[in-house]
Amino acid sequence: MNNTNVYLENGEPLGPDILGMTAEELSLVQREESISDAAFKTESISYGKDVWRRFRRSKVTVVSAVIILLIMLMGIIGPYLSPHDYLTQRLDLKNLPPRIPGIENLGILDGTRVLTIQENSLEDYEGCVVENLGSYEVSSAFGTGTMLRIKVDMYKYNGVADEYYWFGTDDLGRDLFSRLWQGTRVSLILAFAVVAVNLTIGLVVGAICGYYGGWVDLIIQRLMDIVWNIPSMPLTILLIMLLGSGILPLMLVFCLTGWMGTANGVRMQFYRYKNREYVLASRTMGSSDVRTMGRHILPNAIGTIITQSALAIPNVVFQEAGLSYLGLGVQAPNPSIGVMLSDGQKALLEFPYMIVPPSIVLVLLMLAFNLMGNGLRDAFNPSIRQ
Amino acid sequence: MIKYIIQRIIAAFFTFLVIVVVVFFVIHSMPGDIIDLSSKIDPTVREVILDKYHLNDPLIVQFGYTMADYLHFDFGYSLKIRPGVPVLQVVLERLPITIQLNYFAALLILPVGLILGIIMAIKKDTVFDHISSSLVILLISVPSFVLAALMQYFLAYKLGWFPIILEAEESLTWSKFYSMLLPILALSFGSIASIARTLRAELAEVLTMDFMLLAKAKGLSFRQTIWRHALRNSCVPLASTFLYLFLGVLSSSLVIEQIFSVPGLSKTMLSAINGKDHWLTMGIVIFYVFIGLFMAILADLSYGIVDPRIRMGGKKDE
Repeated sequence: MNNTNVYLENGEPLGPDILGMTAEELSLVQREESISDAAFKTESISYGKDVWRRFRRSKVTVVSAVIILLIMLMGIIGPYLSPHDYLTQRLDLKNLPPRIPGIENLGILDGTRVLTIQENSLEDYEGCVVENLGSYEVSSAFGTGTMLRIKVDMYKYNGVADEYYWFGTDDLGRDLFSRLWQGTRVSLILAFAVVAVNLTIGLVVGAICGYYGGWVDLIIQRLMDIVWNIPSMPLTILLIMLLGSGILPLMLVFCLTGWMGTANGVRMQFYRYKNREYVLASRTMGSSDVRTMGRHILPNAIGTIITQSALAIPNVVFQEAGLSYLGLGVQAPNPSIGVMLSDGQKALLEFPYMIVPPSIVLVLLMLAFNLMGNGLRDAFNPSIRQ
Repeated sequence: MIKYIIQRIIAAFFTFLVIVVVVFFVIHSMPGDIIDLSSKIDPTVREVILDKYHLNDPLIVQFGYTMADYLHFDFGYSLKIRPGVPVLQVVLERLPITIQLNYFAALLILPVGLILGIIMAIKKDTVFDHISSSLVILLISVPSFVLAALMQYFLAYKLGWFPIILEAEESLTWSKFYSMLLPILALSFGSIASIARTLRAELAEVLTMDFMLLAKAKGLSFRQTIWRHALRNSCVPLASTFLYLFLGVLSSSLVIEQIFSVPGLSKTMLSAINGKDHWLTMGIVIFYVFIGLFMAILADLSYGIVDPRIRMGGKKDE
């Protein structure tokens, strides 16, 4: 092991007198061992894992994600939970107030309404009056009469004392619970489809504009400028009048200008990164344009894109609600959150309970997606990586 | 700078032309007859009307006639919504109420939004901040028609504090202003919320910067540091919002007009489209396109004024 000759730096053999030791007594260390850096004791963390870790850490973000998942779940199974489906019309049972088993014993959501009637028509409500809230005199051209304010069990009055409509019924006697979740389903499907289309078009156009630049970019930018500047409201109304209302025309309306935000974002990213040295290096090594774009440039923009998409989803639901209010939304028998809201708004003065559930679902969706979007933005931001 | 403005105006002009062409053909390709008085009208009269408006000619010829009229600033006459009234006059008649509503709303939005945003940023992470932040997100999350409907229900119907719809009175009297309060509030909430939210984020970031420490170190009072140094820097992203508040007075909200029965321009446009009053529709859409393009140019220029570091006409790349 130590038989080999040992030399000093100037080439002279190491003499036997050094340190008073002979060559036989000296031994070389680490000659046979391979030396390498110690392996990390901790697990290595990829970008994806890191994002997931930061995403999980924020309580608000996780709660928002759970709320979104719950609403999506209800959008899938909700319409089947109630014994009444969302299309069956029962004109004899229209405008029933909400009634929920269990909670009805607490005196709320028990299917009662306060009515103001003339005293002599009290017998119509025989047996259904839950509570008498007093009477007052009214004098008109036909003489004076007594008006009664009574709390009536509308379910008993309509002869369905053993049925429960959890959120009540609308003016065609359809179950609002099933309609709400069916509407949530329609709204969410529309929103996800719109965002998916916008994302695809935006990515492709943005990548082409940003990567190739030059006259291609110029022409596409001019075209986008034109479409962008058409006032959206008249165009939307015109398109829907032209194509009829429904999910596909609505998608067209939302996609017409919707992809431009993504396209501009992607284009900026491509402009920023396409001349970096590492991109040049990959091109020198012969990678194709598509590969350069997909593997080397696009990942820089992925965080922004996902965040933008998360924020775009509630916007579509929100805008669809606005269009539904104007009667331009999803086609008639089908509900959407917007249709439910606008129905509720029209009946607000008489049946205020109709507008409450869709409002709550919409507000929850908006809040949850916005908060989750903020959480995602922080999670994807590598500058606060820990 | 001048060169940049001229470039922008030329580009906007071409955009304008293309949009007018597109809108013309979209409107005229709508199904249905422009004159659907069929049963009552004498065929010869019908022919006269059709001839007068060149409706028997192919679409491309009609387009030529319309464009020739537009060159003389003749926007035609309304056919159904306000029969016989020039389109320009209809548009001008609808504008005052829209402008009044929007100006009053802007006068409410600007101070409330700014002050709320400033207080939220200064008191960041306190109870006040948390409560107002939740309120702001809530206001942004609820569609304006739900908010307006709820206000109408509780404030006007249940409590009877305000009239339910706008008074039909033409001139701006005190009682008319009183009935405008609810639509003004409904128009304001969303903008107040978005201004407060943006300002809070921007101001909170500026407050942590070094030059704020410098301002404090050279002896400025807290009020001075906020007004002179922090606010100016944090207002850059809001510049276009402020501009839109005062220039956007001409655009009207269809939803608010529907709920409060405001006889505004958007409502007229909706009925014009529904009634196939093509000349009126064209007139209103052209008006909107013009305003929109004009404001886009002004908003771009305003960035350079608010933030001198932004150079106009500089190359975007890199």
